[in-house]
Amino acid sequence: MLFKLSRASMRKSFKDYLVLLFGLTMSIAIFYMFQTLAQNKVFLESNAMIGSIVFIFHVGTFILAAITIFYIFYATSFMLSMRQKELGMYMMLGAKKHKVTQLMFFETFFIGIISLAAGIVIGIGMSKGIAGLFMWQLDFSGEGFEAFYLSSMITTVIFYVILFFLTSIVNAAKIAGKSVLDLLHADRKQDTVKAKGSWTIVGVLFAILLIGVGYYAMINIAKLMQFGVIIAAITITLGTYLIFISLLPYVVKKLKGIRTLNEKGINSFTLAQLRFRMMNLTRVLGTVAMLVALGLGAMTAGIAFYHNVEKQAGMIYANDLAIHQPSDADKQIIEQLNTEEENFYHYKVDDDGVYFLKNDLIDHPPLFKAFNPESMELPKSERVTEPLSKDKYVLGDMPDEWFSVVNNELNAGYYMFGDREISIVDQENFEKIKGSKEIVVVAKLDDFTAALPQLEKLEAGQLTLAESLTGETPEITGSKYSNYLAFKGIASGTIFMGLFLGIAFLMMMASVLMFKLLSSANADAQRYSMLRKIGVRKSLLAKSIYRELFLLFLFPALVGLVHVIVGMQMFSFIIIEPYTKIWIPVGIFLLIYGVYYILTVQMYKRIVLPKEI
Amino acid sequence: MKQPVLQVNNLHKTYGKKGENLFSALNHVSFDMNQGEFVGIMGPSGAGKTTLLNVISTLDKASEGTIQIAGTNITEMKQGQLADFRSKQLGFIFQDFNLLENLTIYENIALPLSLQGVSTKKIKPAVSKVAVKLGIEGILEKYPVTISGGQKQRAAAARALVHEPAMILADEPTGALDSKNANSLMETIAQLNENHDVSIMLVTHDPLSASYCRRIMFIQDGKLYKEIHRDGSRMAFHQEILNVLAEFAAPEME
Ligand SMILES: Nc1ncnc2c1ncn2[C@@H]1O[C@H](COP(=O)(O)OP(=O)(O)OP(=O)(O)O)[C@@H](O)[C@H]1O
Ligand SMILES: [Mg+2]
Repeated sequence: MLFKLSRASMRKSFKDYLVLLFGLTMSIAIFYMFQTLAQNKVFLESNAMIGSIVFIFHVGTFILAAITIFYIFYATSFMLSMRQKELGMYMMLGAKKHKVTQLMFFETFFIGIISLAAGIVIGIGMSKGIAGLFMWQLDFSGEGFEAFYLSSMITTVIFYVILFFLTSIVNAAKIAGKSVLDLLHADRKQDTVKAKGSWTIVGVLFAILLIGVGYYAMINIAKLMQFGVIIAAITITLGTYLIFISLLPYVVKKLKGIRTLNEKGINSFTLAQLRFRMMNLTRVLGTVAMLVALGLGAMTAGIAFYHNVEKQAGMIYANDLAIHQPSDADKQIIEQLNTEEENFYHYKVDDDGVYFLKNDLIDHPPLFKAFNPESMELPKSERVTEPLSKDKYVLGDMPDEWFSVVNNELNAGYYMFGDREISIVDQENFEKIKGSKEIVVVAKLDDFTAALPQLEKLEAGQLTLAESLTGETPEITGSKYSNYLAFKGIASGTIFMGLFLGIAFLMMMASVLMFKLLSSANADAQRYSMLRKIGVRKSLLAKSIYRELFLLFLFPALVGLVHVIVGMQMFSFIIIEPYTKIWIPVGIFLLIYGVYYILTVQMYKRIVLPKEI
Repeated sequence: MKQPVLQVNNLHKTYGKKGENLFSALNHVSFDMNQGEFVGIMGPSGAGKTTLLNVISTLDKASEGTIQIAGTNITEMKQGQLADFRSKQLGFIFQDFNLLENLTIYENIALPLSLQGVSTKKIKPAVSKVAVKLGIEGILEKYPVTISGGQKQRAAAARALVHEPAMILADEPTGALDSKNANSLMETIAQLNENHDVSIMLVTHDPLSASYCRRIMFIQDGKLYKEIHRDGSRMAFHQEILNVLAEFAAPEME
C-alpha cells in the first residue's frame, strides 16, 4: 500500500525527481567518461608524454571518487528533504515507522539505479562526442580509445551501487531517527552549523596547513615523485572542503552580525538565503572548487603541452623558416608573411657538395640559438659573432656558432641535400664552383603558429625539392615546421587527455551548480513571492539573486584558480615554462564561467521570481 | 468629517483570456472606506473576496474601474511604483506564507523598514515598539519554526504595522488559529484600530472575528450584496452577522 502511495507521489513531483535524476546522471556520466580514459592503459601509455600517466589517472580516480561521494550525499539529502514531509504525514496517519524507513531506503536506491543506467548511456554518448570533437580538432587519430569500455563500465557500476547503497542507508537512518513532528516541519528548519570563533580558527588553520602541505608536494614533485602526487591529492581535497566548512558559516554569521549591513534593503534576506542550508552549501562550494581545480587544471595542462610544442620545436631554431630555392609561388607566400627579419644567402650546389657564400653570411649575420647543455635555461636567440677567417670551412671544422647556423638556421643537412658535403667558401672559391647558383631565404616570423597554413605549403615545396636533390622523398625536411609537426604528433595524445578531462570536469561543475539551484528553487520561489507581496521591487529581488549567486560562483572559482596556478608547477619537469600563456586557458575559463553565471541567474530568475501581471 | 483612505469605483475583474471562457470575479464594485475605519468583507467561498483584496493591495491588476488609496490612483501605476507603494502604504497579514522561515522574527519585522532604507539606528526602536504592542518582545531572536501559530500571526501583524502604513489588509488572518488565539489576535487588531487610528480591511469567514469590525460588506458572485454597521455591542453585531449569513444559505435550502 505504502509503495503504491510512494509511486503516486513520485509521479506527482516528477519535476523535482527530474532535477535529482539530472544531477545524479551527470555525475555518473562524467565518472564513466573519466574511467574510459583512466582504465584504458594501452591508450594512455601509447599516447601520453608522462611516464607515470596510469598512476596519475589512479590518483585522479581517487580525487574524483572523493568529490563524487560528497556530491552524491548532498544530492540524495535533497531527496530526503523532498520526501520527509510526506513520510511524516504517512506516519501521522498510522504508517509504521519501519515501513516508512524501508520506503525511504528503496526510493533512494531506486532513483540511484535509474540514474546509473541513464548515466552510463549518456556517458558513452558524451565520451564519443567529445573525444571525436577533440580528435578532429587536434588532428589526432586517437587509436585505441573506446567510448564503450567494459571494464570502466563495471567499475562505475560497482562504485555507484555501493555509494547508493550507503546513501540509502543514511537516508533511511535519518528518517528512523526523527520524530513525526520533526519530519513534518523539517523543510522549515534551519540546519545548524556551529560557527564558534575558536573552532573556526582551528578549522581554518588546519585547512591551510593541509593545503600548504599539498602545495609543497606539488612544487617539489620532482623530488617526491608519485608519493608527492598522492600527498597532494589527499591534502588538497580535504583542505578545500575544510576551508569551506570552517570559514563560510563564520563569514556569513559575521556579515549578518553587522547590523548596518544586514538591515539595509533585503541584505538580511540575501544573507539568510546563504545561511539557511549552510551545510549543503559548504559541500557544494567545496565540490565546485575541486571541480574547477581539476577541470581548469587539466585544460591548462593540455594547453600548456600545446604551447610547449612550439617552444620545443623552436628550441634549436632562431628563425622560423629556411626555404631553399624558392619558386615564384613560394616567394609570393613569403612576401605575405609578417616577418621580423628576413635574409637570403647565396650558395652553389653540385653533385658532391653545397657551398655557401661567406660574404653573404658575414654581411648579414644570421640569428641562431646558443645551446648550452649545462644550463637549465632555454637557449636564447643571438646573433653570430664568431669571425670566419679561413677561405673555406667544411661542416666538421666550422666554429660552433656557424655549425649551428648551417645545420639549423639554413637547414642544410642530410634531409635536404643527402650525402653532399656542406661548406662555407669565400667569393674566389665560390666563383670556381661549377654547380648552379641558388639562394636560401631565412626568416623570423611575428607569430609562428599563425603562419602554419602557409608554412605547410612551403614545406610541401621543400619536400619536392629535397626529392629532386636526393632522389628519394624524405619523411621530414629538418625544418622548424617539420620539427613542430613531429612534436605535435607526440604531444597530441596528452593534449587530448587534458582537454577531454577538462571539459568533463567543467561540465560536472556546471551540473553541480545547476543542481544546487534547481533543488532549492521551489522553496525559494515561495520566499520571493512573499517578498514581492510586502512590496519589494522586482529589480531589488533580481539584485539579491545576482549577489547571492555571485558569491556562490566566486569563492570556489578563486580557490580552484589558486590550486591550478600552484598545481602547474607539477609539470615544470616536462613542460618548458608551464606558465607561458596561462592566461589563455584561464581567460577561456573565466569567460565560460562568467557566461554560465549570467545564464544561471537568468534561468533561476525565471523560476523563482513571481510573474508580474 | 474623516478623509476617505480608500475609494473603489466601478471595479471589475475578469479572469481568463479574451474569447475563451471569461469569468468575472468582481462585477462593478464601488465603495469607500474612511481613514481609521475597520471594515470586514464576508461572503461565501468563491465570492471574490481574495480577488478584491489582491486588486486593492496592487498584487493583481483590475480589468476596469479605479482604486484610490490615500489619494493615489493605483490603477495607473507601473510595476516598480506599485512595489514601492505597497512597501510604504500597505501592510499585509495573510493566512499562510506570512513569515520568511530563514529570517528571525526580528529580521522579519524589520524587513519593511530595511526596504525603505530606514537607518539601523531607527529600525531597532521601531521593531521593539511594535513588538511590545503585540506582546512578542520575548521571541524576537527566534526563527518562525520555533514559535506557536498565534505568535506567528502576531509577528506577521507586527511586520504589517512596523512601517505605519496607511492601511492594513488582512486575508483570513485567523484562519489557521484556534478560537482563543483568534480572539486574542482580533483584540490586538481592534486595539490598533481604536487606539492608533489604523485603517483595516479584513477578509474572513469567521463571524466571531468579523464581529470586531465596525462595518461589514457582504459580497456574492463578485457583487456587493449587503452592508451592515455595528452600532451596539459586539455580541449583538455577532448575531446580526449570523443572521445575514443565514440569508446566504437560505435560498439553497428551499
Ligand atoms: N487566477 C485566477 N484565474 C481564474 N479564476 C480565478 C483566479 N483566482 C480566482 N479565480 C476565481 O475567481 C473567483 C473568486 O475567487 P476568490 O479567490 O476571490 O474567492 P474567495 O471569495 O476569496 O473564496 P474563499 O473564501 O474560498 O477564499 C472564484 O470563482 C475563483 O475560481
Ligand atoms: Mg480567499
